[in-house]
Amino acid sequence: MDWNAFLEFTRGPMFQVALLIFIAGMFFRLVRILMLGWSKDLAPTRGSKAGGVAKSYLKAFLILPFYPWVKGTFRRNPIMYVAGGLFHLGLFTVIFLGTPHMLVWKSLLGFGWPTLALPIVDWLAVGAIIAMLVLLLVRVSTPLLKMLSGPAEYLNWLVVFLPMISGYVMTHHLFFPYEVAYSLHMLSINIMLIWIPFSRISHFMFYFFSRTAHGAEWGRVSVNP
Amino acid sequence: MAEKTIYEHFKSQGFSRRDFMKACGALVGAMGLRSVPPVAASNLPSHLSRGAKVVHTVAKALESKPRVPVIWLEFQDCAGCSEALTRSQSPTLIDLVLKEISIEYHETLSAAAGHQIEANKQAIMEAYRGQYLLVVEGSIPLGADGAYCTVGGRSALDQLKEAADGAAAIIATGNCAAFGGLPAANPNPTDAKGVWDIITDKPVVNIPGCPAIPEATTGTIAHFIVFGGLPELDSLNRPKPFYGVTVHDRCLRRPFYEAGKFAKSFDDEGAREGWCLYKLGCKGPTTYNACASIKWDGGLSFPIQSGHPCLGCSEPNFWDGGGFYQGQSAPLNRPTIGMVGGAAALGVVAGGVLAATNKSQQKEK
Repeated sequence: MDWNAFLEFTRGPMFQVALLIFIAGMFFRLVRILMLGWSKDLAPTRGSKAGGVAKSYLKAFLILPFYPWVKGTFRRNPIMYVAGGLFHLGLFTVIFLGTPHMLVWKSLLGFGWPTLALPIVDWLAVGAIIAMLVLLLVRVSTPLLKMLSGPAEYLNWLVVFLPMISGYVMTHHLFFPYEVAYSLHMLSINIMLIWIPFSRISHFMFYFFSRTAHGAEWGRVSVNP
Repeated sequence: MAEKTIYEHFKSQGFSRRDFMKACGALVGAMGLRSVPPVAASNLPSHLSRGAKVVHTVAKALESKPRVPVIWLEFQDCAGCSEALTRSQSPTLIDLVLKEISIEYHETLSAAAGHQIEANKQAIMEAYRGQYLLVVEGSIPLGADGAYCTVGGRSALDQLKEAADGAAAIIATGNCAAFGGLPAANPNPTDAKGVWDIITDKPVVNIPGCPAIPEATTGTIAHFIVFGGLPELDSLNRPKPFYGVTVHDRCLRRPFYEAGKFAKSFDDEGAREGWCLYKLGCKGPTTYNACASIKWDGGLSFPIQSGHPCLGCSEPNFWDGGGFYQGQSAPLNRPTIGMVGGAAALGVVAGGVLAATNKSQQKEK
């Protein structure tokens, strides 16, 4: 098999199509959510909706649940918080502050930004990969989580895990020739891009909707119908 | 009278035994050999392969084997690979190939011309049928029945097929002969092809590069002459001793890549400090070639050392494989604004229609 030709396919037309499906799918989801509409306020608002929203984002920004002395949730389930946090931190760093990924953004958006040194990005990626493995173990070993998890949940995990592990293998030139690892990395990314809009991985966008909606709800300080 | 061996030719040129042994040592180095490869196909006495030092094997082979004629054909090329060969800085090795191993036909280097040289080529192909080595430089156009490139009134395709028929092995030197190179770049007006696209019943060794590293070409020719067989090849038929690792793997700027220190333009602080050229589009990580280890001009430098990113010239399709100065991680095809708008509109319409249908159904209930 000519891996360089396959790489050209996965970096070229396949990526382009995957990206377009991703965009169409996300807009589809967005419209579906927006057309659900807001529920009417049947009771007068005593607080401030905007204030509630601001407070909600402030809490998120300060990642309050991560301080053991602030919330009981952390003490009850520290592994989930540490592993989940490390995973998201690693993911964001790799995607936005890793040099090769910034160059992807630059080619798509037309502008770039400074990036972190490879060793820093690398260790955070390792942290994210280990965190993903830990989260999977927790998922299959906790009865409640196991009960809540269907095929879609495991598929989500796999679809995110494959780009991460193939990216790591590629960066460190492990096991495969570079172009093979690169092809597999691109292939897994293309699959992920197509899968995202139809899965809960789309929470990277809808997270902000729930933050806003819940913040506004809290800010009203009134009776809910 | 028995035919002179390569060593006898060498002596008659005024070289000493010492020069000969030095050349053997250079050959071993150039072929990237650490041990004697299997010599089953080489017609060498079997004792040569048993635990002998490679340089001794090479010396004995050259002492005992007759010269191997080489026919060098040029098609859609710039003669750059030949130029690189004649300007190579390892004179004994190149002398060995050019003078002792006897290139019998070379359109650029031959003193003779016209019908005489064509007649000589025919004579050599006849006399050494099944024994000579064919080196091809330049791509072969198939368009317009091969009319885009003719030599002596005959098409490149015709000439290649004729010469390949009686060749023991074929070496395609340079990216054009190997993969089509520049002539095959989009839109490929002449329908240019590499040798291995056309000749499928003979071993074809690809020595791609723009130009091919002269030591890789001569090293492979020497390997055939010394051992009677071809070196180990990778999936693209490139000899592994020269194309076994990527340029990135042997790059002198690699530590800067690891440390995340990149030149961002050709005249910034990073460029002056000699930092990694990855952001300037270096194709080193996916390019298999010996540039970073053999280098050029007798080990003086190579593009990356001189401050220019690798173009990936030893890989297929390198002219169309993304911009030369575009970071390698960047996608090859970017959706246009129109495509993005279209995809977004499609999503919006599909979502809107579905939502409206759902609502009207709910109302009906």
